[in-house]
Amino acid sequence: MQYQTITRSAVAAAATVLGAAAAVAEDKPALDKAAIDKAFESLKTFDWGVDNNKFRALLGPIEDALPATHGDAAARKELETKLAAVLSTGASRAAKDYVGRKLAIIGTAESVSALAALLPDKDLSHMARYALERIPAPEAAKALRDSLAKTSGTQKAGVIGSLGVRRAAESIADLAALVGDSDESIAVAAATALGDIGSVESAKALQDAKPASDPVKLRVADAQLTAGECLLTAGDKAGALAVYKSLIASPEKSVRLAATRGLLLASGKKE
Amino acid sequence: MKQRANRRDFLKAAVATAAACPYLIPGSALGAGDRPAPSARIVMGGIGIGNQGSGDQGAFLGRGDVQYVAVCDVNTQHRNAARDRANGRYHNNDCKTYNDFRELLARTDIDAVHIATPDHWHALVVIDACRHGKDVYCQKPETKTLREGPLMVAAARRYSRVVSGGSQRVLEDYRRQVNPCWSGELGPIKSINVSFGPLAQSCYLGSEAIPQGMDWDMWLGPAPWAPFHPYRCSGSYNINGTCWRSFSDYSGGGLTDWGAHHFGGAIFAIDCREFEPEVVEYHNEKGREYVGFRYPNGIFLYHNHPGMKHLQIVGTPGEKRAPKPVPSYKGNGGIHGDFIECVKTREKPFRDIELATHSISVAHLGAIAYQLKRSLKWDGVKNEFPGDEEANRLVDRARREPWTL
Repeated sequence: MQYQTITRSAVAAAATVLGAAAAVAEDKPALDKAAIDKAFESLKTFDWGVDNNKFRALLGPIEDALPATHGDAAARKELETKLAAVLSTGASRAAKDYVGRKLAIIGTAESVSALAALLPDKDLSHMARYALERIPAPEAAKALRDSLAKTSGTQKAGVIGSLGVRRAAESIADLAALVGDSDESIAVAAATALGDIGSVESAKALQDAKPASDPVKLRVADAQLTAGECLLTAGDKAGALAVYKSLIASPEKSVRLAATRGLLLASGKKE
Repeated sequence: MKQRANRRDFLKAAVATAAACPYLIPGSALGAGDRPAPSARIVMGGIGIGNQGSGDQGAFLGRGDVQYVAVCDVNTQHRNAARDRANGRYHNNDCKTYNDFRELLARTDIDAVHIATPDHWHALVVIDACRHGKDVYCQKPETKTLREGPLMVAAARRYSRVVSGGSQRVLEDYRRQVNPCWSGELGPIKSINVSFGPLAQSCYLGSEAIPQGMDWDMWLGPAPWAPFHPYRCSGSYNINGTCWRSFSDYSGGGLTDWGAHHFGGAIFAIDCREFEPEVVEYHNEKGREYVGFRYPNGIFLYHNHPGMKHLQIVGTPGEKRAPKPVPSYKGNGGIHGDFIECVKTREKPFRDIELATHSISVAHLGAIAYQLKRSLKWDGVKNEFPGDEEANRLVDRARREPWTL
């Protein structure tokens, strides 16, 4: 079976990626497929109410399989398929919580649809994002973006936050429209996400935003400052200067001072 | 310090117009005795006032140059006890209580806050405090993930805030290692080892009734939802599965909790506080795991090296190394006094947030190497594992809605 294909040569190949400077002895045992299958059986009835020893006894083989399958695409895929399958069963919230954590590390595009189905679920939305936010595949970003129309309230704010962490530039138009949302948590999340994306376009969207309340206004200004710093880091001094100039007359003293600092940095002055 | 003229003018006017009852205003309120006038005191509040927070509160309450006016905790019992300590100190009823830190941070009369929430809250509260113009003393370990450190530093710098980390041991407990390194006595340093544990563990403890006065949803905050269990939120220092410090959702276990001290002290000794390792070597010798962090200058920091004692340093005594003066606290009163002095002078504190996050990053890097059971390359400037998609997933974790950094 694929699980047993992990060999010392695969480990050695993975170590080679790090180069000679980091080459160290890594002696990984072959996977125990029977133990892994048993752990997946345990996962069907797994729930909160176990201490760490019991947790390890029940799910330890899955825990151990994650590092052991590094560099073995087939074994990883088999593991991922089994994990994702749990999400559409009647397994407990704790079991699906556990799966979300593991798919955050090994999930691929293959798991995205099973995870995306949970995004509107108030109990499971976070653990779905726990994986989707960290899965690099563009399908994960698309699933998050598509779920904006299917979520509301705090779940929607969470999805927006994940798009920001992913710096999902293709979501700028969606996010810009949400900065003026009457739900403060959504508006704040949208502003923060646009700041995190940190492009000229997202900065412009923030500048044009019409925040509904003072707390959101403060967060929009903060997000603009974040965007300015992103542009500066990327070497776009002109873009950063435009952001800071737009804030220099802010009614908030702290924002004016921060914008002045930004102007100086964008002009080449060191702190 | 804010509203300086208004408060002082008010007090002076009160004295001038109320000469018939001079005893109503104590001399200390105008700056007599050993206390500065109220207008010259740092107005402070505390967020997270349980076990460690109460200790920090005591340190700040004991200072004449601090006026302590607000406490925030999601546990009513902790909150009220902290309020009573403050009111007892000043013999008044001025200290206000908050369940939600955002309400405390919105107060414009507060200059600075100290934060001793569980670790999973640190970055959110520190960054929001900076947005609201507060200087911050934040307990160690300052970060929960690698992504949080640069964001906290950026917020501090953006708003020109003084943000100090909170490990008093780094300067105070490692002089036997720091002094011979900085004096040049040991010559150029090759390596140092620190030995401690444990790693954080998963937590699937069962559900118990939420005690009255505990806002459990707010305690969890950005961490994954989980049922209440007293071990999850116990502020005990026993990292054995009976307190939040044990569990990976809220802490990095011993690796970050003790790591803030031991890694922090070791990095201070070898003078590597200003940068981060570039390689983490994972070793497994017959089931005994340890890691070695290689810094850009070639120095190794080991964790649990089987051939080295705790805090053992390998130098080259025969070779010369120019001595350097050892940095220290400013002001009086240890690390808390260092923070207060820097609030006044706007200097960077001894454990400036940038240095603090560098040292906690070592613990996070080690935890990831132990978790993945392999060696890693790290770019501390870009805050990423170059070309390592799997490890980069562990740089951060999704926060529970609606919390975003």
